[in-house]
Amino acid sequence: MTFQDMIMTLDRFWASRGCVIAQPHDTEVGAGTFYPTTFLRALGPQPWRVAGVAPSRRPADGRYGDNPYRFQYYYQYQVVLKPSPADVQEQYLASLRELGIDPLAHDLRFVEDNWESPTLGAWGLGWEVWLDGMEITQFTYFQQVGGQDCRPVSVELTYGLERLAMYLQGVEHAFDVVVTPGTTIGDLRRDFEQQHCRYNFELADTELQRLLFDRFEAEALRLLEADVVHPAYEFVLRSSHAFNLLDARGVLSHTERQAYVQRVRKLAEASARGYLRLIAPSEPADAAGAAGPAGPAGAAGAVA
Amino acid sequence: MPRLLFEIGTEELPAWYVAPAAAALAEGLTARLAELRLSHGAARSFATPRRLAVVIDDVAPRSERRVEVRRGPAAAAAFDADGKPTRAASGFAASAGVRPDELEIEETPKGRYVVARREVGGEDAAELLPAALAALVAGLPAPRKMRWGEVDTPFVRPVSWLTALWDDRVLPVAAAGLEAGRTTRGHRFLHPDPVSLGDAGEYEAALLAADVVADRTARAVAVRDAIARAAAEHGGMADAAEALIEEVVDLVERPFALVGSIDEAFLELPDEVLTTVMIHHQRFVPVRDAEGRLLPSFVAVANHRVPDEALVRGGYERVLAGRLHDARFFWQADRRKSLAQHAWSLSGIGFQKELGSMADKVTRVGVGAVAVAKLLCVSDAEKHTLERALPLFRADLASEMVGELPELEGTMARAYAMADGLPAEVAVALEDGVLPRGPHDALPATRVGAVLAVSDRLDKLLGFFALGKRPTGSADPFALRRDAVAVARVLSAQGWRVALDELVAAVARGFEGGPVAVDAATVDEVVAFVWDRVAALLAEEGLGTPTVRAAVLASRAVIGAARRGHLLQALAGQPAFAEMLTLYKRAANLAERAPRGVEADPKLFAEPIEAELFAALPAARAGVERLLEAMHAQLPAWDLGTGPTGAIAGLDALADEVLQLKAPLDAFLDGVMVMVEDEAVRANRLALLAAVAATPRALGALEHLTG
Repeated sequence: MTFQDMIMTLDRFWASRGCVIAQPHDTEVGAGTFYPTTFLRALGPQPWRVAGVAPSRRPADGRYGDNPYRFQYYYQYQVVLKPSPADVQEQYLASLRELGIDPLAHDLRFVEDNWESPTLGAWGLGWEVWLDGMEITQFTYFQQVGGQDCRPVSVELTYGLERLAMYLQGVEHAFDVVVTPGTTIGDLRRDFEQQHCRYNFELADTELQRLLFDRFEAEALRLLEADVVHPAYEFVLRSSHAFNLLDARGVLSHTERQAYVQRVRKLAEASARGYLRLIAPSEPADAAGAAGPAGPAGAAGAVA
Repeated sequence: MPRLLFEIGTEELPAWYVAPAAAALAEGLTARLAELRLSHGAARSFATPRRLAVVIDDVAPRSERRVEVRRGPAAAAAFDADGKPTRAASGFAASAGVRPDELEIEETPKGRYVVARREVGGEDAAELLPAALAALVAGLPAPRKMRWGEVDTPFVRPVSWLTALWDDRVLPVAAAGLEAGRTTRGHRFLHPDPVSLGDAGEYEAALLAADVVADRTARAVAVRDAIARAAAEHGGMADAAEALIEEVVDLVERPFALVGSIDEAFLELPDEVLTTVMIHHQRFVPVRDAEGRLLPSFVAVANHRVPDEALVRGGYERVLAGRLHDARFFWQADRRKSLAQHAWSLSGIGFQKELGSMADKVTRVGVGAVAVAKLLCVSDAEKHTLERALPLFRADLASEMVGELPELEGTMARAYAMADGLPAEVAVALEDGVLPRGPHDALPATRVGAVLAVSDRLDKLLGFFALGKRPTGSADPFALRRDAVAVARVLSAQGWRVALDELVAAVARGFEGGPVAVDAATVDEVVAFVWDRVAALLAEEGLGTPTVRAAVLASRAVIGAARRGHLLQALAGQPAFAEMLTLYKRAANLAERAPRGVEADPKLFAEPIEAELFAALPAARAGVERLLEAMHAQLPAWDLGTGPTGAIAGLDALADEVLQLKAPLDAFLDGVMVMVEDEAVRANRLALLAAVAATPRALGALEHLTG
């Protein structure tokens, strides 16, 4: 099965189970969890089902393409189901069968994983799914997102697409994964990966990133003040990415690093509150919401 | 009598939770049965990653019948002049569940009171149990619970099904949004169909038929056997730590072991890096040859016998290779700098806001460690090793490898120091200096390492105590008790006969001139805090509280106190010891009035008995000395909390030497008036008695043992 067949198979599978198939978001994120379709939609009472590829960037995880499993740019396949269905494990296993993975032929395990994102003010409990010892999926029941309790609870499934494809195609390196006959991931991304690793680890202008962080943060705060949570949240994502670059460059001391994490977290939590105000304009989510309900006109513009 | 089965079926539980949760479920249920007055037979616990269950035999079908007696108001207030019950009496009767005319009057020592007798019990167990079982689901203790879907009962992982059988009847338990039934589930993949149970007694066998080894002990045996056999077939021995086995047991329902191999090129990485990656990341068991060298293989335990082993083995091997590839990336990245260069980065790692960075901390520890080494009179060679190790101490905290695998702190310092070409003793001291990492971890083997370890922990205790951040009650957010335990264990294992207070004062010198002042009171507090841990560890070794107290008060060195504790316990079994205590008590009672600082002066003796007693002292003191020497010689230093390996021989004879004081003391107390008018003579006699009492007291603060 080619890489793009896998993606289309998962799309079809989750579409048949009532999911919106969302196309990738166009702002850098560290993981699909940062997607507005995950982070914001996990909040509030409305049912929600979404699936799709979430390209992600983790500057510190790059290995110049040398490590077969670790990259600074990679694809996650992200599924969010709210409320979490009672048979979600069975649904997930059915999706693996669609990909040609027969659990009977393999050693497939759900191994405890307590997920926490200090920058998102989010945590959840669940598992890493192991296929013959390899983590192929993170399976998380969100308990809190943006500092808000999740009721009902969403479940997030994050498939590691490259490593799944490596397994299915029996290749030793993600770059050898066939995307479509004649084209591998390496053909598409080798230079991209190596150059971005050079940028992330060696070339990134750290003064610029510090400056950008400050400006993105200020912009996010200004937009949150104006109660336009969608553009505000994109600036949260941008500031988070600037922080990730600074982290990869190794220029942050322990305490400085903690301070940046706290700053992103504050923004993420304010965004979560802003979103809850947006979806329930008549019921402010907290004291901050009492300042003034979001205007429906602004909200409509942002969603479009 | 009926058999009860209750099973909580779940999505995969965290491995560490399975065993304690199963025990808690069985304990919770038996406790509830006792409260409900339902007698029962044996209870058996079952647990796998997907279920917690308990089967209890011979549960009484009805609760025990008994008469409940409640006392009400005084008889005088219960009936009016006409003998009719007052409002107080009828209110009491209503609350006790009897009619007013059923109230009785009882004579008590306090007077006559109204009592209500009511026969209670006899309730149908099948009626009582559903609510009790539902409450167990909600109340099962767990450090961290979660919610799922729209269910409002938090549990450790989502609850998937409930099975509750009372012999062949389903008990209508409703909990976690589910209704209990008679079906359980077998192995997730081997037996996906529901398993219907006709009777509670079928549970274990039905699950075995459905490919689930529900008995955790049986599963543990199977896991151990499978691992050992697989390793042996590949010419090696499994290096299976207990904690790893325990975890693996609760990751599978039907264990099956497989052996995979490792690219020999990765064997260039340090042993601990390889094993940590195998164990920590993959739960693979390392395999060693007869000499203990790592072989390029590992054992993995799968959740079922897979049809094509090569397919699964290939998967294991690829993923381990990926992890080792990463570890080698960190190794090579770290090796671009020397350990000394990594040490420069410690200034960028915070230790604690007021106490500064790790670099500040290591500098302080250095000053303290040098002072400690001086106190111990270490050799010139050791001093030299310490001086070379100090600038590199904890430098590996700044390395990528420790950032990724924090449990390798110390280990990486040793590995990088060796790779930098530093002497082995320096490298070993660097690793020893961070030991023990936990309550059961190994202790430093070298003296220099122990100096570092003790100085580092005491520095932390002094710093946090000086800032007022000492533990209160059960709250110990900075894990300071763990540090104090580490200090106590290292000091005992090293057998250092050095006063704890002097050691702490030596480490406190690191704070001189720094931003946080450590005063004498803080030193005293830390000393007392460590002594508390010493006492707790001695209690863990089975010593009683009075013995521990007597031991701890008699020595300023941890090892001295520890050995005295065991000496006193051994002596307590000797008849001579009771005599020694009597002797001590007689002398000490009067000696309490002895003026301080006065020594017995033979010139002031008026009676020959006084001189005889005085003359007996040196021999008795020598006896005590010999007893203590035997104690130190025959109890090799040990890891406090585990108990000494040796025993003291010849206690009888040694105790007799001390008891030579007995006859002259008896004669003295019978024949000499102590509290005479002449102040000088009186003081002299009291001083003599004080000297007599002090002689056996060198063994321990005997006043705590005399009852």
